[in-house]
Amino acid sequence: MNAAKITPLRPPTALSVLVVEDDVLTRCAIADELRSDGYRVLEASSVADAVAILGTVPVHLVFVDLHVPGPRDGLRVARFAQDLHLPPRIILTSGKVRPEDLPEAAEFGPFVVKPYLITRVLDLIRTTLDPAGN
Amino acid sequence: MSTRPANLNPTPSALKTILVVEDEVLIRLAIAEYLRECGYKVHEATHAAEAVAVLESPEVSVDIVFSDVVMPGEMDGFGLARWVRANRPGVEVILTSTVDRSAEVAGMLCEAGPLMKKPYEPQNVVERIKQLLAKAGRA
Repeated sequence: MNAAKITPLRPPTALSVLVVEDDVLTRCAIADELRSDGYRVLEASSVADAVAILGTVPVHLVFVDLHVPGPRDGLRVARFAQDLHLPPRIILTSGKVRPEDLPEAAEFGPFVVKPYLITRVLDLIRTTLDPAGN
Repeated sequence: MSTRPANLNPTPSALKTILVVEDEVLIRLAIAEYLRECGYKVHEATHAAEAVAVLESPEVSVDIVFSDVVMPGEMDGFGLARWVRANRPGVEVILTSTVDRSAEVAGMLCEAGPLMKKPYEPQNVVERIKQLLAKAGRA
């Protein structure tokens, strides 16, 4: 693939968001909304895929389900992201545990309990990436 | 100055949707992003079961499935192509596979539809998509 032949339709400065979610319809819904909002969205359905992307592509924010398939699940993705040279912002989500059940989750960033409204997740992603609202 | 290939329609079909089915995440990412750059709406599935879930969703409309042949799970690309033909007859399918695998399964191609050999040039994928959309009267 020759990337030099591609003319981006999105702004070249688009922020990139990695959505790590094994439910394909949830992933599609979040990804579609984020793309409509102008973000570059990368999709992963497992720990291995998420780590492969994080090791290859600069990512500004990771929105990760704690229960994606893979060893030590979403927390491993969060830890891998946190240890990168330029660590992305991290938002965790889960439908199985609540933040108070997983104290170590607090070190990573916001925690969204499922089921969630996509509009609220989008608002959270916007404010997490741009706390000043610029 | 635009470096978009001259034979690409600048806005080929904002409403045309491609479902990319590929378990190799970096390959999927690359072709999905290229297709988006070309103006298509793209959904991503990591295997056939995910693809079926997308195709069965009333929220999603798909024009073309671009799928690898070899994938994890009970259904491979040929199985997915058969499922599409039986359940979503208006959806076109393009399969892709490595050369050796292509030769191995050559006998199944007539049933499954067009097959692109890996590694493929993304421009050729777009050309194939445009041909299929034109053939289906949806270009």
